[in-house]
Amino acid sequence: MKNYSQRSGEIGDFSDIPFWKKADAADLVYVSYGLLIVTLVVVSYLLGAFHLLPHDPHDIRLDLMMSPPGTAGHLLGTDFMGRDIFSRLIVGIQAYFLPGLLAVAISLIGGSTLGVLAGYRGGMADTAITYFTNLVDSFPRLVLILLVVAAFKPDIYYIMIVVGLTNVPVVASLVKGKILFLKQKNFVEAAVSLGLPARTIILKHILWYNCRSLLIIQATLGMGEAILMETSLSYLGFGVQEPSPSWGNMVQAGANYFMQGKFWPSTAPALAILFTIMGFHLLGDGLNNLLEGKRGR
Amino acid sequence: MKNAPLLKIEDLRTYFYSRSKQAFIRSVDGVNLEIRRGETLGVVGESGSGKSITALSVLGLISGGPGVIAGKILFGSNGEQKDLLDGLEGYVKIGREQNRIMQVSKDVLGWERRSDEVMRTIRGGEIAMIFQNPKASLNPFTPVGKQITEAIRLHTKITDAQEAAERAIYWLKRVKIDSPALRFDNYPFGLSGGMCQRAMIAMALACEPALLIADEPTTGLDATIQSKIVDLLAELKSELGTTTMLISHDISVISRLSDSVVVMYGGTVVEYGPVRDILTASISSKHPYTSALLASIPGEEHVRDKVALQAIEGDVLDTINIPAGCRFYARCNRVTPKIRENCERREPDLREIAPGHRARCWLYFD
Amino acid sequence: MPKTILEVIDLKKHFFHRKGLFSAFSGEERRIPAVDGVSFYLKENETVGLVGESGCGKTTIGRTVLRLAAPTSGRILFDDKDITTATTEQLRKLRGQMQMIFQDLDAALNPKMRIRDILREAITVHHKVSDEEVSRRIGELLEQVNLKKGKLSNFPHELSGGEKRRVGIARVLSVGPRLIVADEPTSALDVSIQAQVVNLLRDLQSQLGLSYLFISHDLRVVELISHKVAVMYLGKIVEMGLSGRIAHAPKHPYTHILWSSLVEKQSKESSSATRNTQSGIWGVFDFERPYSGCRFAPRCPVYESQGRPTVCTDPASEPQLRDIGDGHQVACHFPL
Ligand SMILES: Nc1ncnc2c1ncn2[C@@H]1O[C@H](COP(=O)(O)OP(=O)(O)OP(=O)(O)O)[C@@H](O)[C@H]1O
Ligand SMILES: Nc1ncnc2c1ncn2[C@@H]1O[C@H](COP(=O)(O)OP(=O)(O)O)[C@@H](O)[C@H]1O
Ligand code: SF4
Ligand code: SF4
Ligand SMILES: [Mg+2]
Ligand SMILES: [Mg+2]
Repeated sequence: MKNYSQRSGEIGDFSDIPFWKKADAADLVYVSYGLLIVTLVVVSYLLGAFHLLPHDPHDIRLDLMMSPPGTAGHLLGTDFMGRDIFSRLIVGIQAYFLPGLLAVAISLIGGSTLGVLAGYRGGMADTAITYFTNLVDSFPRLVLILLVVAAFKPDIYYIMIVVGLTNVPVVASLVKGKILFLKQKNFVEAAVSLGLPARTIILKHILWYNCRSLLIIQATLGMGEAILMETSLSYLGFGVQEPSPSWGNMVQAGANYFMQGKFWPSTAPALAILFTIMGFHLLGDGLNNLLEGKRGR
Repeated sequence: MKNAPLLKIEDLRTYFYSRSKQAFIRSVDGVNLEIRRGETLGVVGESGSGKSITALSVLGLISGGPGVIAGKILFGSNGEQKDLLDGLEGYVKIGREQNRIMQVSKDVLGWERRSDEVMRTIRGGEIAMIFQNPKASLNPFTPVGKQITEAIRLHTKITDAQEAAERAIYWLKRVKIDSPALRFDNYPFGLSGGMCQRAMIAMALACEPALLIADEPTTGLDATIQSKIVDLLAELKSELGTTTMLISHDISVISRLSDSVVVMYGGTVVEYGPVRDILTASISSKHPYTSALLASIPGEEHVRDKVALQAIEGDVLDTINIPAGCRFYARCNRVTPKIRENCERREPDLREIAPGHRARCWLYFD
Repeated sequence: MPKTILEVIDLKKHFFHRKGLFSAFSGEERRIPAVDGVSFYLKENETVGLVGESGCGKTTIGRTVLRLAAPTSGRILFDDKDITTATTEQLRKLRGQMQMIFQDLDAALNPKMRIRDILREAITVHHKVSDEEVSRRIGELLEQVNLKKGKLSNFPHELSGGEKRRVGIARVLSVGPRLIVADEPTSALDVSIQAQVVNLLRDLQSQLGLSYLFISHDLRVVELISHKVAVMYLGKIVEMGLSGRIAHAPKHPYTHILWSSLVEKQSKESSSATRNTQSGIWGVFDFERPYSGCRFAPRCPVYESQGRPTVCTDPASEPQLRDIGDGHQVACHFPL
């Protein structure tokens, strides 16, 4: 059974209907959850940055080794060195926040630039960029990161630069697709024929008005990806290095004790990763539906 | 049953729903029409007036909710007349406020299952349809000849592949495709727009349908090709006598091919009658919309004297905000003080104003 | 004697398509001569209509004339100044005087901008003006194109086709052009709205002294609105002259067929058989089909009825436009 109903009275300008009524309920839930996660991440980052933590995350308490969750003062328990897991989780965000933003910034700026070159200019620029993106795409990302780590040092910033760079083709092709779509509708030509300078057309009309939601969505997905990448690398021992906590190396260190029934040192960061990445993805998905199309007729 | 019309639509309503406006799009809002056996019924009206949605409703091909919600579609072939919407009322609940539908609950799955059961034998076989965009409605990955052959085997008594293929070539020749045997193996992308439209026509006719629905068969084609397709349709009409519902917004096409005409505006029929009564230039006995439409088309005299055209002021009706009174009121230039109040407040019925000629306008009754 | 505002001399615009995957290396390309040697001129306050089948190169002429596409060869004079090789910056300035109405209703309208902002942007492209001046201009434009003020705060997708077209025209007018290329301005509109737009364009011409290059395949509208009409076939103008002459006394076989294919003109009774023989094989229309001599020969009924004369297919004697009096030009060896 599907139900449809109309308000009585004149159907005016639909700006008077609040947007949450027009949207799909699922999208609203996705976006709210995503925004909650983003807020938690930002708050955690600030708490960590100003050391407003229940405990010092580096404080080793051999007397409290492996205390289970709920131990007085240690909400989520302690790890194999007796360090407070909750505090370490909060500080762990430090490992992702700025590096993640860096990765996102690289992919968005690089991707928009290449996308605009390929889509707006076309011709040789397009061919060159297509070859470049194919090249990047055909190279396994993990191998690339391992090479960089081996050549320099296992630093999260190096890793994130590579993550950002390897995402450039994705953003570039999306931006290029959007431009080709606008071109096909003669939108770009109409702007040129009005006499607008190329700078205005590209920055204002293409990137700001027509690509902004696409870029926001890519940014949320990029953040999630940065966390995931660090986690995988931690497993290989190339992520953030002890004693600095990251969720990845916490899971990895805690995993050794999982089989002994001491699940919490690895489970807490694993769940944090799960909920956070899910948050970023759902945010991206929901925003995509809210901002782009699916707007209903 | 001899004189019963082949197709009779009674008070058909097909709605869509706009989530962003929280309102119904009343695409087809009480359509009544009938097609007699052997005649060609022209359906004219501007875009969005519900022509295609009426046709798709007949075929049970509406996708999107709530879709068809009320009405009767009586179709009589093989001697018996049956309602294609029979037994479907049970799946829909309608809530009204001041005689206007404001709420619809529909068991979409139940409806579709039931409708498919009824339509399976009818679609393609008894009723065939030609779509506006021939390139898009032919399968791009199958040669046209093969598509026609399959349609023949599916919908006619001919099941033998060889025989069906010969029949397909016969129909390709019939629609004047040159070297049909060669074209048989062409994929749609190898054919021009006009050629694709001919292939579509061949495919539809090859199933020997009782009713052919042609939705804008010439729109989007070049003038010279349009006139060829119209020629072809005229010729097929006189030779085969297939009952046809011809949808077009091009009045010249309609007036050349049809026997009767239905004029649609904002989801309803505003005028119905024989083509010579409706599409000839005398203003006196016509619905104001029809006469304004005819007057707005550039004719010899405009061109000769270089005078301005008589435009219909205002805008195409928004089928979300259908007014309470006459749907054409906002643009009508023939409202008299005497009927003004009626025009504004009450929707006129579609009533007979002369034998066989019906109009929906207060001018003709009080 | 009105001044000539636009003159086009032997304009060519060829498109090149790569053939196959490795064409970048082999250099094999397909050539589409969308505009293949076209000359005409347009006087001030005058309309030249351009008609022809879909894909014959009408839009391409419009785009090339406004230098939205670079010509392959030939010259374009705007106000007696050669703009064929003008730089991007020079062109940008010229755009204040020549504009295009696009076939696609949505072309000019950024879907994320309100109508007011779209118009404001257009008004301020070429002139720095104060906010009050902008509001005054917007009011004036709305009046000129007969659009309600209430629509200013709407987004383009909230407008009907006719309203979108009006906004598009207002945007074009806002820069104060003298030459407008109107590419099928009515074809995307409903029948009941087309007449409004045709009337609007005619009124604007007399009010503002505009010159139009009016592209359309609606022959009736072209005849009505144009002073002169040029008929195109496969990238060439085959006939050009006063609109009444072209419509009622065509000299080129193609023009004749074009006008007699107006469906409303064909009486119900006239047997289609006679018309079949008259108009040859239709649907054969392709830039890539090799031809020699007259490109219309494969479809030309006169060519058939004259017993396929060799001049028509002689590569050395492709028919050229020649004057047959009163500025009526035709490119055919056997004009009707
Ligand atoms: N950018 C392009 N690249 C390659 N070919 C093109 C391009 N633009 C146009 N063409 C080709 O040039 C020819 C002329 O195109 P044009 O758009 O000028 O036709 P038109 O006469 O305006 O047709 P319509 O009536 O369909 O608008 C067509 O064959 C078209 O496919
Ligand atoms: N799937 C759909 N969802 C919502 N609205 C629709 C849908 N299909 C058609 N409509 C609307 O129904 C109305 C009538 O459409 P249609 O019958 O196609 O008009 P036409 O007379 O041009 O053939 C239009 O306003 C159209 O926008
Ligand atoms: S009912 Fe009134 S408003 Fe409607 S068409 Fe007739 S005269 Fe015009
Ligand atoms: S030159 Fe010959 S082929 Fe060409 S249009 Fe004239 S008669 Fe026809
Ligand atoms: Mg339709
Ligand atoms: Mg065009």
